[in-house]
Amino acid sequence: MVTMLRRRAVSSVIPLLVVVLGVFFLARLTGDPANLYLPLSATPEMRAEFAARNGFDQPLITQFGDYLAQVAHLDFGESLRTAQPAGEAVLRAFPATLQLAGWTMLLAIVGAVVIGSLAAYRPNSVTDRVASFLSSTAASVPDFWFAIMGVLVFAVTLGWLPTSGTSGAAAWVLPVATLLIRPFGVLVQVVRGAMVSALSAPYVKVARAKGARESRVVFGHALRNAAAPALTVAGDLAVGLVNGAVVVETIFGWPGIGKLMIDSVLQRDFAVLQAAVLLTALVIFALNILVDVCHALLDPRVRQRAAA
Amino acid sequence: MAQKDMSRFRWPALLLQDRFAFAAALVLVAVAVCAVLGPLLIGDLATRQNLRDPGREPFSLDHGWAFVLGSDSLGRPVAARLIAAAGTTLSVAVPAVLCSLAVGSVWGMWAGYHGGWRESVSLRVADVILSFPSLLLAVVVLYVFSPSAVGIVVVLAVARIPVYLRTARAESAELRSRLFIDAARTFGTTGWASIRRHVAPTVLPTLLTVAALDFCFVMLTESSLSFLGIGIQPPDVSWGLMVAQGRQELQSAWWIAVFPGLAIVITTVSATVLAAWARLSTDPGQRWRHGLRRGGSRLRRPRPARGDVGPGPSPTAESAPTGEGPDLTETPPPPLAVSPAHAVSPAQAGAPVAGADTLAVDGLAVDIRTPAGPVPVVRGVSFAVRSGETLALLGESGCGKSMTAHAVAGLLDPAAEVVGGQARLDGEDVLALGPRARRRLAGPGLSIVFQDALSALNPVLTVGTQLAEPFRIHEGLSRRAARARAIELMERVGIPEASSRAGAYPHQFSGGMRQRLLIAMAVALRPKVLLADEPTTALDVTVQAQIMDLLAELRSEQRMALVLITHDLGLVAEHADRVAVMYAGTVVETGPVTEVFGRPNHPYTRGLLESVPAEQHKGSRLDSIPGSPPDPRSVPTGCAFRTRCPMAREVCAGHRPTLAGTGADRAAACHFGKELADA
Repeated sequence: MVTMLRRRAVSSVIPLLVVVLGVFFLARLTGDPANLYLPLSATPEMRAEFAARNGFDQPLITQFGDYLAQVAHLDFGESLRTAQPAGEAVLRAFPATLQLAGWTMLLAIVGAVVIGSLAAYRPNSVTDRVASFLSSTAASVPDFWFAIMGVLVFAVTLGWLPTSGTSGAAAWVLPVATLLIRPFGVLVQVVRGAMVSALSAPYVKVARAKGARESRVVFGHALRNAAAPALTVAGDLAVGLVNGAVVVETIFGWPGIGKLMIDSVLQRDFAVLQAAVLLTALVIFALNILVDVCHALLDPRVRQRAAA
Repeated sequence: MAQKDMSRFRWPALLLQDRFAFAAALVLVAVAVCAVLGPLLIGDLATRQNLRDPGREPFSLDHGWAFVLGSDSLGRPVAARLIAAAGTTLSVAVPAVLCSLAVGSVWGMWAGYHGGWRESVSLRVADVILSFPSLLLAVVVLYVFSPSAVGIVVVLAVARIPVYLRTARAESAELRSRLFIDAARTFGTTGWASIRRHVAPTVLPTLLTVAALDFCFVMLTESSLSFLGIGIQPPDVSWGLMVAQGRQELQSAWWIAVFPGLAIVITTVSATVLAAWARLSTDPGQRWRHGLRRGGSRLRRPRPARGDVGPGPSPTAESAPTGEGPDLTETPPPPLAVSPAHAVSPAQAGAPVAGADTLAVDGLAVDIRTPAGPVPVVRGVSFAVRSGETLALLGESGCGKSMTAHAVAGLLDPAAEVVGGQARLDGEDVLALGPRARRRLAGPGLSIVFQDALSALNPVLTVGTQLAEPFRIHEGLSRRAARARAIELMERVGIPEASSRAGAYPHQFSGGMRQRLLIAMAVALRPKVLLADEPTTALDVTVQAQIMDLLAELRSEQRMALVLITHDLGLVAEHADRVAVMYAGTVVETGPVTEVFGRPNHPYTRGLLESVPAEQHKGSRLDSIPGSPPDPRSVPTGCAFRTRCPMAREVCAGHRPTLAGTGADRAAACHFGKELADA
């Protein structure tokens, strides 16, 4: 287990390094970094002063060393808008997004397991067809439009839910629902597919031949085998939640990392954008390892392969 | 290749059959037409501000067709803007999808075809790109190089290359191991030529399906970016941009935001439906499943209205188990079953103590539901087995012998259904039982051993847990007590160090040990009847003998009735007391093994025995039965074997022979069975 974690950590450090490098070169290779960091109206003197202060007049290799040292200390420079350290701004915004994403994934996984299993239990039944159609529609509805329709119906017309903010349970409904719809739609289809093949496996017949009740056959025998492919996709979807968070947080004024990123793009606040991107990459790195641990817990064959 | 050409011919017809897919295709064609002809149709209506007509309500034709969906706050008609935006959407999505399809598929085929470092490096690159949220990638890149349509195309194309790379790699790596690629290599065909000629045609259909799904993803990402203000920039029109604009006026003019969103949903859902349809129609296995109707559950099958038939043999030899009476209330009689199977159970055909049959199967019929209607795969099978006896169900693959066993055990796939007959376990018809009563019998009454022990054991549960399950379910034992019984059982079937091995998983055992575990599980509750479905086929010869010995020991120890399903004549000769030979879904001959093998009363049995190399035939030509077993969908009329039978005459085409006694405890379904017996 420990060996596996170590090996997996080493191999997923590569994407993390690519992101770190990518951000560095994007910022340097497009010309004067001052163009990225400073407002367009900056005078040549301001630019020169900025370059000297941040070491942009140094050779590239020195700059890279400084950059790595800064990143290692989570020092991403100051926000143009607030003059606060960019790293702090990002860390302040993170919990809001994590909470939103956590609830969403929890609901998506539980709901998809229940509905996907029901659909897979009798392939091509009415339940299956309805579930398949709704889930494929859910997976192809644009989240920003879904959010706006939610606001139109439940906030503007009916007045049941607030249009933005984070106070009270009602404020969570529309953001979570919007963020939920795509991962839920995809997961239902994945769970269904995995369960259809698990339920037609010989070991399921053996379980029935032992006189096991259907609930035990489905949840005790089939589901654990179907969990592995679903888990892989759930991991990818959790990474994809960052996409959704950008949209949802912008629409509902949610003070999370997604809104922070869009705001810093629109106001050209490169320090904050860079900090947000690198921290997101770090979280994704941790998430991938978590998915691997879950795989090993679920499947003894993965454990054995990892130990070998 | 021939198959591919055929499918090319048939796809328009298939598309018309599926109304959903047809509608989806129409929608996509309409979007494409709007994109191409849109500029001619609407001129500058979409962008010209018209302050005389701001905020017109939709669904009125008073101001011309362009205003049918209302107008925005600058008086621009929504309908015209929708059409203009279709062009923008396609001009981003189509190039992006084509670029990533081209690059990703060529790269993936190259990596998969060659394997080795090229494969692992490519996969690692794909992992890196995919592990980063694409929208975030787009945000950063579009920040650095200000937003533009070209920028979006490039970012999305790069972000989606790994999807095609992975698919193409997986498919061509699988092809790499196939023989025809090796053959091409032997002839000196170069890598690229091989890929073009052999790999690409096979991989392309899958890739196109992926592309259709990817089209949705690219469209959604583009509209998200435009909505967020970092994608398509005004004055260009995009559906995402229109939603963003409509959001500002949500309270006063809902239609501005609603219609472009609907346009996105309808287009993406159409592409999804079409992709799903394409997957179904290129994969015959999937289409098969797709065409199944739900049908009644086998467990809810009404009890055959033959209540007067008690335990033991049927009153007359002419009783017709299938094709008559209310047995077939659920499905119409199979069109290809020529005549009702006037089967006679072997018990009637001269068995001495018929009442002692532990399991008596009588006229069992099973259909498989297919899109083209039910196909009868088991067509009136009858046999009986007594406790302590081994009956071999012998037949070639596809003759319905496994299907028979699964039907008796109540383990048919949802697509298969028992449509007639009985299976009496100690006189009680198990096929008529409800699910609960059925479950009570599963284990102590009827039990089954499967062929492939690796897939028949649950890979994620310890063998101890799986062996303890029968005791937990039927005897309500505690976890600890059940585990102790499981360990005893493992010792009984000869697993060394049982108590420590109980915590191990199936993949940690050898093939023979796994088969022992499976047998242990099946005999845990001392079943009256054990169905062994090709229990040794997957094993090597020495292990085979051990497993058969174990089964024989357990049979005599527990006084079980053993039904041995096999295609192995040697196994039957060595281990079975009686044999029922099956052909094309029916039993063609039954009797004691020594007698049947010594003097077969059916030409098929005779043909089978003659095709076995044996000492006495040494030096002479080995005979085999000409032709091959019939497809269940087109079994010949009359006798199913007549097209391959050396003795076939006119009567064989007209009348289906029934299983009739040909001697003491013997029966054959042949018009000339008596002649053969007396010859």
